[in-house]
Amino acid sequence: MDPQDLENINALLDRDVELREKIKDQVADLDKKTRTMVGMLNKVHSTRKESIPALVDSVRPVLLSCRETTSALVKLIPENQFWRWKELWSNSLRTAVFAAALMEYLSTRTLITLPQVSELLGIKDEWKDRLLLPVEDYLHGLVSLVNELSRLAVNSVTLGNFEEPIRISIFVKDLFTGFSMLNLKNDLLRRRFDSLKYDIKKIEEVVYDVSLRKLAPPPQSRMT
Amino acid sequence: MPAVADSFDAFRADLDDYNDRRERLIKASRDITNLSKKVIFLLHRLVLEGATDDPNVALNAATRAREKLRDVQNIYASLRHELSGDRFWRYQRQVSPGLQEYIEALSFAHYLEHGTLITFQQVQDTLCDPDGVPYFPLTVSDYLLGLSDLTGELMRFAISAIARRGGRAKAHQVCAFVRNCKADFERMTPYVRDLSKKQAVTAQSLEKIEDAAYAITVRGSEYDLPQDMLDDLVAQSISRFGIHDDRRRDDKFDDDEGGT
Repeated sequence: MDPQDLENINALLDRDVELREKIKDQVADLDKKTRTMVGMLNKVHSTRKESIPALVDSVRPVLLSCRETTSALVKLIPENQFWRWKELWSNSLRTAVFAAALMEYLSTRTLITLPQVSELLGIKDEWKDRLLLPVEDYLHGLVSLVNELSRLAVNSVTLGNFEEPIRISIFVKDLFTGFSMLNLKNDLLRRRFDSLKYDIKKIEEVVYDVSLRKLAPPPQSRMT
Repeated sequence: MPAVADSFDAFRADLDDYNDRRERLIKASRDITNLSKKVIFLLHRLVLEGATDDPNVALNAATRAREKLRDVQNIYASLRHELSGDRFWRYQRQVSPGLQEYIEALSFAHYLEHGTLITFQQVQDTLCDPDGVPYFPLTVSDYLLGLSDLTGELMRFAISAIARRGGRAKAHQVCAFVRNCKADFERMTPYVRDLSKKQAVTAQSLEKIEDAAYAITVRGSEYDLPQDMLDDLVAQSISRFGIHDDRRRDDKFDDDEGGT
């Protein structure tokens, strides 16, 4: 190999290694934050209805602190290279989506939109060749949300909140209908989507138990 | 919540767009692989047909290969908009296989013409529009992995040339060249995915050439004759077999190709 070329290539490889390390540092930071959120949100299973807003409020500063990480991250990514490095933080980002979506559900009982999550994480539109929230990662976060809500349906009943499973059931069915509209290829998202039916089944069983024993208010007074 | 349906409609469009483009690029990559493979066969054939010690043979082969490779370059030109901006890295894994095969063919032609390894910039230059703007950025990993495949072709080239006039000198050259390639790539192995696998293949190819070179040296030593005279001696006995021998040699060559 031409000595000059050899030198250039080694320099390029070294630069990539260095960049990868720097990105990993930021990802570790993001990971720490998202894990903290998940840990805090786990309390939702043992928190009474009236204390949930306070719980969500306590997590919000952590969610917003992810903005610092995303803006540090975007400074590292070279132009047009988002997809080259995204695998490094996909998991953390999906967890962040999950946390944001759960918080939104607990606050408003609605589905958080992709632009809303981007906004919360401080991901700006003009970064899109370096850092963006891809549809796939957003959808992964939503699958995790459904997984979590099926647990919440069970645990809210234990805590004496009999309406929650019904709300969850309506919300999740709507989301499932949305997922059914997608042409998913045979990848991880597809497999996770396929597993949603077990979550739905679990939620349905809770709804059934609650309705059968007339623990929940009759259908006409249910909130949607 | 009709809003959910609306946003999922948009997601479907997004995912479909991604999957469709991905499929198109996989198909193109396969076409490029095929074209490049044909160029490699063509090079082997042209080099075998001509006299080994005539430099014009290699030159002529390289020129014809370059013409053929223009078809591949045209495909890349047409894929340009599919790979613009941040798309290149999104679809890099679909582009890589064809690109590596192309680099293998290109570097083989380059070697026959110049006896050197094509540089990174020279490869990138073949993938640029007339104004010198790259269709997409060449990656170090595709460049190295493409070159790594070249060593296998060189092994075939050296072995099939060995029984011909000047072929022994050629085999020694190739042997030294491949050895250098292997040494140069070694340091990069930890940084490039799959390079270590290819290095193992290169090691095998190198060993085959070395064994052949060894056999020549040992047998050559039995006759105290200069290389030229040995060549003549071999050529004479081969010519006695004439056409039949040619056919046999071609068969052997085809087997070699089929076996990989």
